[in-house]
Amino acid sequence: MEFGAGVQDIVTSVPFGFVVAVLLGLCLYWLGGKISAKGKPSDGKLASYACGEELPAEKVQVNLQTFFVYAVYFVIFDILAFMLATSLTSPGILPAAYALIMLLAVALLLPLIRR
Amino acid sequence: MTEQALELVWLEALNAIVSLLIYPGVAFLVLLSLFYEWVDRKFVARLQNRYGPLYTGPSGILQPLADIVKLLSKEDIEPRGIDRGLFRTIPILMLAIPLLGLLLVPIASQTALIAFEGDLIFIIFLLTVVAASVFLAGYTSANRFGAIGGVRAALQMLGYEVPLSVSLIGPAVIAGSLSISKIVEWQRHTGLWMILMQPVGFAISILCFLAELERIPFDIPEAETEIVAGWMTEYSGRKLALLRLATDVETVLACGLLTALYLGGPAAPTPWLSIAWFLVKSIAVLLIISNLRALFARFRIDQMISGCWKYLVPLSMLQLIAVEFMMG
Repeated sequence: MEFGAGVQDIVTSVPFGFVVAVLLGLCLYWLGGKISAKGKPSDGKLASYACGEELPAEKVQVNLQTFFVYAVYFVIFDILAFMLATSLTSPGILPAAYALIMLLAVALLLPLIRR
Repeated sequence: MTEQALELVWLEALNAIVSLLIYPGVAFLVLLSLFYEWVDRKFVARLQNRYGPLYTGPSGILQPLADIVKLLSKEDIEPRGIDRGLFRTIPILMLAIPLLGLLLVPIASQTALIAFEGDLIFIIFLLTVVAASVFLAGYTSANRFGAIGGVRAALQMLGYEVPLSVSLIGPAVIAGSLSISKIVEWQRHTGLWMILMQPVGFAISILCFLAELERIPFDIPEAETEIVAGWMTEYSGRKLALLRLATDVETVLACGLLTALYLGGPAAPTPWLSIAWFLVKSIAVLLIISNLRALFARFRIDQMISGCWKYLVPLSMLQLIAVEFMMG
């Protein structure tokens, strides 16, 4: 009894579902490797695509400045959303106070975006 | 314990495994996602006065499957300068993550295959992971177009993620539970669909899912007229096949999640009708998404971000505050 119920619990758990999903991906990947055409690698084929121009393959540097302000806003609002969501069972003054603190933080950040 | 009881327990375990792997589990979901791609393509084609898929199977219904098989059988080219480990892992992960999310959505019955308290938060987390892996996919391919596409995907994610999560949490506040299956149960119990109480939330989440799925008004990360194929530029063969399938699965995830949270989910008068209920509702959502795809042209990235923060975030917050007032 215990063992059978244990099997059912394992089957309906998140890690098991993830393993099954990854296995499906691996199967398709392996199948693709089996049936795909095998060509000879040539210089032009291995070059990274650049509309026919001669450009060496390299990691392109990302400019993080515009990213940063939005990332900070994102974190603030995301935390606010999750806080409101997890305060389902205890509505009242506390979530509102937290929300107010968040909005103050946003207001303080506004000069950052103008710069 | 009697032998009969033991047999029953084993039958139940077997039943759980079959429902995870075949119906309504992985195999069914993959076929469903191919079918949804066909519906989407055919509908958009008809709206644009084209025929759409026509020759493969009746009315071209097998065309998405044929596309996947074709891509699987093509040569898989890995260009110089890429990060090989990540380059190979990301297509598999990008298929696995939406598929796992779909296992958490109730489809053939009122409870999902995998259900626990807080699975709504977990699905929101999975959607964020998908967007983050799009960024990684662009970055590891060491290609100018790929990097630009990846950065655009990350910027876009910062725009739509907040209104999306806030408007998905709205139904949870009304139902008083963070479990998708319990939200469906609440709607069946009261007979009220969430869309009646939060139409704004429904509209916002459809818009945000358009961005999440990179559909046409927000297909900025893979804009083919500007940056070739964006973050997918260097992917070919089986990797591209996995990415295509992943997009289809994500479409089903979006439609299924909206159906469960806002349209009452698969709650039917009789249990065996559930799947039909689910199909009708989620295809209705899919047709809304396809219609918007045929209606709009692409936005610029700055228009998309500022639009999200100027309109969608305040609107979704207002919606949530209104809901809190309604509750308390």
